Amino acid sequence: MSFSQVILVAVVFAPGAVFALLSLPWLLGWVPGERGISVITGGTYSLCALGLSGLLWKLAASGSTAVVVTFGNWFAVQDYRFPLVLMADRLSLPFLAMTVVLSGLIGQFSSTYLHREPGFFRFFVLLHLFAFGSLLAFAAGSFDLLAGGWEIVGITSVLLIGFFQLRPAPVENGLRVFAVYRATDIGLLVGIFAMHHWTGTAMFTSGLPLLVGKQALIVCLLLLLAASGKAAQVPFSGWLPRAMEGPTPSSAIFYGAISIHAGAYLLLRIQPLLAHSALASAVVILIGVATAIHGTIVGRVSADAKTSLAYASLTQVGVMFVEIGIGWTSVAVVHILGHAMVRTMQFLRAPSMLHDDHQMHSAIGGETAPAETQFEDLLPEGLGLWLYRWAFDRGHLDTILDRWLVQPLLDVSRLLGRLDHVGSPRYRTRSTRGAVSVTGAAQQGGD
Amino acid sequence: MPAFLRIAGGPSAGYIAIAVPWGAALVIALYRRHVRIIGFVAALISAIACALPLGAASAGQSLYHALMLLFCCLTLGATLILPRRDCTAGSIGGILFILGSTLLAYAADNLLVLLSAWILSAIPFFVPRWFQAHSWRPRAGLLLSAIALGLAIAQIVAGAHTIWIVNLKGQTPGGMAAFGLLVAAVIFRKGILPAHAWVADAAEGGPAIPTALLFNGHFGALLVAKLIVPLFAGTAVVWLPILSYLAMATALYVAVRALTENSPRRLLAFIALSQSAAILAGLESGTAEGITGALVHWYVVTVSTVGLFGILRLLEVRFGQNLSVSTHLGLAGHAPRLAVSFAVLGLALVGLPGTLSFCSQDLLIHGTLQSHPLTGLLLPIATAMNAVSVFRLFTRLFLGKRRTGFTAVADALPRERWILAVGLVFVVLGGLFPDVIVARRAVEAELVERAIATKVVPKPMPPLTVK
Repeated sequence: MSFSQVILVAVVFAPGAVFALLSLPWLLGWVPGERGISVITGGTYSLCALGLSGLLWKLAASGSTAVVVTFGNWFAVQDYRFPLVLMADRLSLPFLAMTVVLSGLIGQFSSTYLHREPGFFRFFVLLHLFAFGSLLAFAAGSFDLLAGGWEIVGITSVLLIGFFQLRPAPVENGLRVFAVYRATDIGLLVGIFAMHHWTGTAMFTSGLPLLVGKQALIVCLLLLLAASGKAAQVPFSGWLPRAMEGPTPSSAIFYGAISIHAGAYLLLRIQPLLAHSALASAVVILIGVATAIHGTIVGRVSADAKTSLAYASLTQVGVMFVEIGIGWTSVAVVHILGHAMVRTMQFLRAPSMLHDDHQMHSAIGGETAPAETQFEDLLPEGLGLWLYRWAFDRGHLDTILDRWLVQPLLDVSRLLGRLDHVGSPRYRTRSTRGAVSVTGAAQQGGD
Repeated sequence: MPAFLRIAGGPSAGYIAIAVPWGAALVIALYRRHVRIIGFVAALISAIACALPLGAASAGQSLYHALMLLFCCLTLGATLILPRRDCTAGSIGGILFILGSTLLAYAADNLLVLLSAWILSAIPFFVPRWFQAHSWRPRAGLLLSAIALGLAIAQIVAGAHTIWIVNLKGQTPGGMAAFGLLVAAVIFRKGILPAHAWVADAAEGGPAIPTALLFNGHFGALLVAKLIVPLFAGTAVVWLPILSYLAMATALYVAVRALTENSPRRLLAFIALSQSAAILAGLESGTAEGITGALVHWYVVTVSTVGLFGILRLLEVRFGQNLSVSTHLGLAGHAPRLAVSFAVLGLALVGLPGTLSFCSQDLLIHGTLQSHPLTGLLLPIATAMNAVSVFRLFTRLFLGKRRTGFTAVADALPRERWILAVGLVFVVLGGLFPDVIVARRAVEAELVERAIATKVVPKPMPPLTVK
């Protein structure tokens, strides 16, 4: 392996190694201290950043446009192969750098922010696993491997949404987000299958699989489903405010920076396919426009800082989708990088927002003058009120999904339950029985 | 040496693997002391005896040896994880009895031995002092499967005048009647629609860990691999897809059913049933990818399911029998390592990247979509729902407000911790280096695929338009 290849492998797998290093001893009963975790985290991402800088310098010096590392096939059956290949090219390198830098910053911020928090260790373990998943997704040289990283990002984000597990709301919201992720990821899995079926491969180290016409349209739409779910685009935007239940550092890195842009990255990766399908590009643009409008209107009625920032992120990601649909890939990449940095900063400053506000007012010697005319003032009163109610219910997206998809599914499930219980009346009460029995039931379970 | 216990690499190993558990069960029934140690040693001896032929077996013949070794290791784990209150002479004896019967079924190359093993493995679930469930449906399911198999074998023997499986390959013995009866046996034993209800009843009304072992013998899949496909290759081409559709429908049906189930045991049973139906769907896909995925998924479902039921039983013993997922129980605060083990094993069951099931699900989905482009979509949909149900089960059991009132140490004991760690290491290492298992199973899958000669002919591609 060349120097560049070694660096790429080391950068991608370093967070995964740290995850294993921290979690395995815990399973055996040893928990490292906060200081140790902070030092390991800081050191890891500093070295990763250094390594990436070296990689960038080496690529620039040699004039190469990509580094590819092939480990062969993870597994193979007849003609079907799951290649294990990493690639750092002009598209993925910025995302890799963004992930490494922001993960390190979040780690340093969290060392103080979560000091003495009972879940300190859990947070950092999940942070490292998330970073590994992101780096794997961005550095993957095939859609198969990208899907692996993609799933890891999803699982870690859901576990961090439920970080404050003593309250039921974060846990339930985490479950809801997980359900959205799994439903939309079906598009990714089936899209990858379609690529294998039609072209025999899902690798893109030498260019995308050759798909045209209906094949390109079908694959693009399937991958768009997955991208929309991950990026909280309409009609899946309802999960984003629920995700704000997690700690502020995780909200910053997931929904300000990395996770929410993963969908845009996927679309950037298949942009040549989108260019072959006008209909798919049109759908991408339509979704982006709808999301941008939705996000900006709903964000205006948000009552808390994090939700407001989340919808601001959503708006910008919608605009990115439009840029990608039009074919402005370089603009989209710059937009993503800039947006990620700014939004992360805003999320991290959100807990201090009131303090910042007071400081500003002190500096100017009083309250700021309110804006003379708001956009809403231009609307007729009736329309304004309707729009306010629409925005307050977040575009009724969750209500629509619940009424037309979730509740019918649960109703079918309950009906099947009643059918199953025919002939077994004893279990009708047992299945709906209430809470755990805690009275003196704490017997030791073994020797 | 009776030929019917021939096993590649040495007949004595097969004898030992099957006879030792039964002998140990007898010793336990008479001696009734140190039952866990006796059970552990017996399972360990069986495991070693199963491992010996494995090394000598060729790549295409090692499937049953590997499955025997897997089941021995499961039983070994079960003897360690069984809580003290469940560790009675009856329980351990019954578990060893199931072990011997299951190994006999895997090793049999004789119809009568297979039938005997099929019946013997179900006997503990008919005996009240053993593992009989409260509901009648498990007994009905097991009984009907045994009757169907018995009638099928009678039909085959009457027609072919031989009981040796190797002499019957490709002969379609007993015709469609025998084929139909064998399929019925699979449906009842495996819990395929419409005979699915007994599985959840058995899980809830009977002992958790022995029921998990019964279920993870996967006798239905065994019958498909051992009898249906080899003996009825021509018929299988036409009629197996029906069983495949039923299996996929079962996977989706119970996945939907699980979404509103509040009993942890029934919920886990539905998830396990859905994932094991995927094994059947893969076996019947007729593609090398699907069959390989099914064989690999067999390992995953087996290890994960027994581990999950084991953890659930440990929770019941510690925190009360009437656990329900209608509310958050907050048990992670008391048992964090059990919580992490449950999360990893549960997500490993539904395709968590980095675990063996990610590879098996990938192969299963590719294989079933290739042979059934429309109905194959049911599989990833069912898997997604199962993932939601697993996560719901985990969050309701372990997250939420921490309950008080427990003074005893409630997390995993050392013996429980070690056996759970072994399970976790298996699913994770298997995920990181899947080719160790996939390569061997792929060879067997190709043999099966050739046997039924159903290499999928790709549908005519739509005409490509070049701009």
